[in-house]
Amino acid sequence: MIGALLPLAANVVNTLTSVAAPTSAAAATAGSDFSTALAHASGDAVKTLRTAETVSMAGIEGKANVQQVVENVMTAERTLQTTLAIRDKAVAAYQQISQMPI
Amino acid sequence: MAIDPLASSLRLAGAGLQTQSARLRVVAENIANAQSTGTSAGADPYARKTITFESIFNRASGDNLVGIKAIGVDKTPFRVEHMPGNPAADDKGDVKMPNVDLLFEMADMREANRSYEANLQVVKQSRDMINQTIELMRT
Repeated sequence: MIGALLPLAANVVNTLTSVAAPTSAAAATAGSDFSTALAHASGDAVKTLRTAETVSMAGIEGKANVQQVVENVMTAERTLQTTLAIRDKAVAAYQQISQMPI
Repeated sequence: MAIDPLASSLRLAGAGLQTQSARLRVVAENIANAQSTGTSAGADPYARKTITFESIFNRASGDNLVGIKAIGVDKTPFRVEHMPGNPAADDKGDVKMPNVDLLFEMADMREANRSYEANLQVVKQSRDMINQTIELMRT
């Protein structure tokens, strides 16, 4: 479970900077496992960051007002912070398991 | 999925910021045009603009955002000054001046500023609360 989770969490951070299409995970329905929910959330996170980039560019061109730019950049920042915190937790869990005395 | 109330308050405050900046824009317009007379003889000068706000219900998030209802025109009669040399003067030498009172505009500007500051404070507070909560995951 954790092993499957770690690449997903890493994927979240990787896709933030890559230009690849966002994770096309289906909507997390009731009964789906945590990995699916996380993949869905990471897709949303990428979308939020894209929006922030688009609005920032529009702001530089003078097509969006300051309030919109700040609001979207702040949302992106919040999403990134949350994603990083979750990734750190997943990595910590993986390390705890790998350091388990056999 | 329930909407995060903190994210919701950020959005609400953002709408407030945009509305108050629109209000300041109207005030700037009124102050800039406080001396704008008509172009032809006896023509009407610049009429003071007014701005009204309304509450907009957002069905998706279930909150009431603030928005601009309308930018209207002040119906107060124009001031008349006797300036026979002015191109906008009528046959009696009277010129209609805009119905802009700088005292009102200053008061409106200050109110827009205070309201903007209040909304900024809401943004700061919600962001702090969100960050503090996320910090819990780091320890």
